[in-house]
Amino acid sequence: MRALRHPALHWLLGIALGAVFIYASIDKIEQPREFARIVYHYRLIGPSAALGFVPANTLAVTLPWIEALAGLLLIVGVWRREAALTAALLLVMFLAAVGWALAHGIDVENCGCFSVSGEGRAAGAKLILQDLGLLALALVLAFVPPRAREVASVNEQGGAAARPLEPPLASSTTSK
Amino acid sequence: MRVWRVAAIVAAGSVMGLAWNAFGGRGIALSGNAYIKPGEDVVEIDAAEAKKRLEKAALFLDARPVAFYEMGHIPGARPLPEDDFDRAFAGLEPRLRNTLDIVVYCSGYGCEASHIVARKLREKGVHAAILHEGWPAWTDAGYPTKEGKEP
Repeated sequence: MRALRHPALHWLLGIALGAVFIYASIDKIEQPREFARIVYHYRLIGPSAALGFVPANTLAVTLPWIEALAGLLLIVGVWRREAALTAALLLVMFLAAVGWALAHGIDVENCGCFSVSGEGRAAGAKLILQDLGLLALALVLAFVPPRAREVASVNEQGGAAARPLEPPLASSTTSK
Repeated sequence: MRVWRVAAIVAAGSVMGLAWNAFGGRGIALSGNAYIKPGEDVVEIDAAEAKKRLEKAALFLDARPVAFYEMGHIPGARPLPEDDFDRAFAGLEPRLRNTLDIVVYCSGYGCEASHIVARKLREKGVHAAILHEGWPAWTDAGYPTKEGKEP
């Protein structure tokens, strides 16, 4: 647990996860029409007689930008925990979509994960494992706070009056 | 952890995506079908319109793989599977050239086969409408169906 809270680890994991998300977003942003077709294949939010095309198309044009923004924040380390939670929520959504497709026998030839054109990866058990791995990473970043952050939040709450207590407080948190 | 920031990331990403779609130059129409290429002249009809056309002796083409055709198809429809287009087209060509009202269908919205077949037909000078809700809408409406190899 102590190693998991090392600030350098969080910095590295943030860059790794952020790079995966930015890489995943590029092809979808470049080719929205192809990505929309992949969204159709899942038959999760339409298009259907009841829903029309709007929900599926809107998801197709917004999702890659949410991925890209969360990825960028993870890399630069701004709002890292919240960006990691956003990434975790997206991964839960992807897992649900793949699970839905597999459960309904829908053959999603190209999962639309990293590439939208030509031969993509199929939705299957391997993809679920990969998403679970990324999800674990995102959850560590979101819910296991690095030590440095704890010290900073103590300073924020304590304000100027608490400054003299800073060294003992800092050492007590790190020795936890 | 501030949960509002998660909502802010999702909201900001969505706004960026919608703005890029509107002004980025390669956006898609949000209410349109992404299977239709820009500038493509495609007529899409619903199941009720298709039923009317069937009663007026329109020629129906089933773009799904033949195995699906045999499990059930629109009565009178001919198989023109996307994966075996050239062979099936050769057999149907005289009839297609002499029919004005042609409707292509496949397995529904998530299915691209009817669009591919309509596109290939257009390249050969044959114009066909697409039953955009496909086979599921036809059966859901309770319209007649037929099993087997015969149209």
